[in-house]
Amino acid sequence: MIRLFPFLMALAGLLQPWAAMAEERIYLQPADFIAAAFTDAAPQVRVLWLTPALRAEAEHILGHAHGQLRQKYWSDGQKTAWILEEIGKEEMIMAGFAIKDGRIEQTRILIYRESRGGEIRLPAFLAQFHNATLADDNRLSRQIDGISGATLSVNAMVRMSRLALYFAQSANSK
Amino acid sequence: MHIHKTRPLMRTLAAVSALSLVLGLATTTALATQPTLEEKIEILQQELEALKAQIAKVAAATPIANNTGSASATPVADSSTTIGGYGELTYNRYRSNSTHDNEADLRRFVLFFGHRFNENLRFVSEFEVEHAVVSKNDNGEAEIEQAYLDYRVSDALNFKAGLFLIPLGILNETHEPPTFYGVERNEVETRIIPSTWREGGVGIYGDAAPGLRYDVGITTGFNAAKIDDPSEGIRSGHQEMQQSKANDLSVYAALNYRAIPGLLLGGGIFTGNTAQKGASLTDPTAKALLQGVNARLTLWDVHAKLNVGDLDLQALYAKGTLSNADTVAAAILAEQQAGNPAATGIAVPKSLYGWYTQAAYHVWHSGDMDLAPFIRYEKYNTQQSVATGFVADPLNDERVITSGVNFKLHPQVVLKADYQKFKADPSKDRINLGVGYMF
Repeated sequence: MIRLFPFLMALAGLLQPWAAMAEERIYLQPADFIAAAFTDAAPQVRVLWLTPALRAEAEHILGHAHGQLRQKYWSDGQKTAWILEEIGKEEMIMAGFAIKDGRIEQTRILIYRESRGGEIRLPAFLAQFHNATLADDNRLSRQIDGISGATLSVNAMVRMSRLALYFAQSANSK
Repeated sequence: MHIHKTRPLMRTLAAVSALSLVLGLATTTALATQPTLEEKIEILQQELEALKAQIAKVAAATPIANNTGSASATPVADSSTTIGGYGELTYNRYRSNSTHDNEADLRRFVLFFGHRFNENLRFVSEFEVEHAVVSKNDNGEAEIEQAYLDYRVSDALNFKAGLFLIPLGILNETHEPPTFYGVERNEVETRIIPSTWREGGVGIYGDAAPGLRYDVGITTGFNAAKIDDPSEGIRSGHQEMQQSKANDLSVYAALNYRAIPGLLLGGGIFTGNTAQKGASLTDPTAKALLQGVNARLTLWDVHAKLNVGDLDLQALYAKGTLSNADTVAAAILAEQQAGNPAATGIAVPKSLYGWYTQAAYHVWHSGDMDLAPFIRYEKYNTQQSVATGFVADPLNDERVITSGVNFKLHPQVVLKADYQKFKADPSKDRINLGVGYMF
């Protein structure tokens, strides 16, 4: 044990900076996403009350209950922004969507914790959602090319984008 | 005395008056700052959030009980324990069933359990039951396929330790039925890369650059003395962390590029001595043969996957070599002959290889449903060269064409049907039907 002591001390010394380096998996704070989405004027915080009909369609889109009675969003009167969460394979993914005229203007991954599939954060993947709209049955108007080994995370991102478009449409028609 | 009696009364009256004044002022102030309806809703919302947080804490304290009732990977909001799984049922009907019996099988039933200790540290596991029943008289197996701790420092640096999947090929790490074409897993990633292949050890992984992932590690390796079925390459030397002989360890490295949506380019290598000092052998002569021998097994692969619109393309090449295969074969023969003098040993492979190409096209999709016919061509030889003095079985130099269809009822639920044609051994030609799911 005495012989091991210097080794353990050295190991602890090596681990210390790593522990200090440990980063949270928040890639973008929600407030920063909102600020980036509304560069001209500060948006108002609004609430979309989820009626039984809205909840039913949200469940249809997600494949499971949305679990909320209302959805908070931001609006400047023309553009809306939504921050949504959905499960990938094991972990919750948080994404932000800015929607204008029924099209996705901007999307970012805010939190991603899965050990694989982090490529969904890359601009090349997210660019596929740019200008996407809702098609029949509240499907996305375009096909999204996946990430090998991250099927469930990609599916989750597609579901969230559909829900954001649907909520934006519902909020605008109020 | 009178004075003494009236003073408390006066003080009480004064206090009551002052209190009334304060209450009156407070009421007036409250009326002036009466929350609006929206503010009240916001207050209620905050209270609800606080209640939800408390419920989540209680749920986290009894996570499994709360998780089992739901078909979702993380069914309890904010719970740190997760459950998921996948499974597949298969039916194989042979063209000529004089050699092979037709078979229906609950091939795999798998449950994932994960737990997040904090933002950076988590536990990952996968428990699998194969062939439905596990007992002394059945072929079923209960296996732990993964059980490891994962510690994240940054996107570029993550550590893992325990039993985990080796990052070689495409299928080994991503093998849930809806993610691959065909009822059966492809032959190359079964016989050359022995999927589902896991080892115990420590690994480091992360993003070397955006979309470019590296994996390196040191793990347990194969035990060459256990090789008993060359038709499956070196698969039977796979130890599966079941009291693995660890006199010799192995190392691996892999690089995969996924920065462009729909594209995967990658490769990996695994290498290590498989002699294990003859630890699993009982015959002294056989054991002595593997002392100090470097029976190095090296397996490597390169692979590519491209998804363009409705077209899915995939290809892989894998190769393995085993040094000192002659000594390994001699040790196995000595062990066999110690129990049975007439035993003839095993034609241990010195080298093995395989490759495949595959194309699929999504001809129809509606809602969650998707129909994709596919075709796959595979060529492999599990005994490309064998230990001196032994003869390779020509049936192990095989070409397989698999053509069929994957029909997804949901992105995570698939029905499959295909036909497989084996060139070298036509007795294996068969129709396969399957059902698979993951959640």
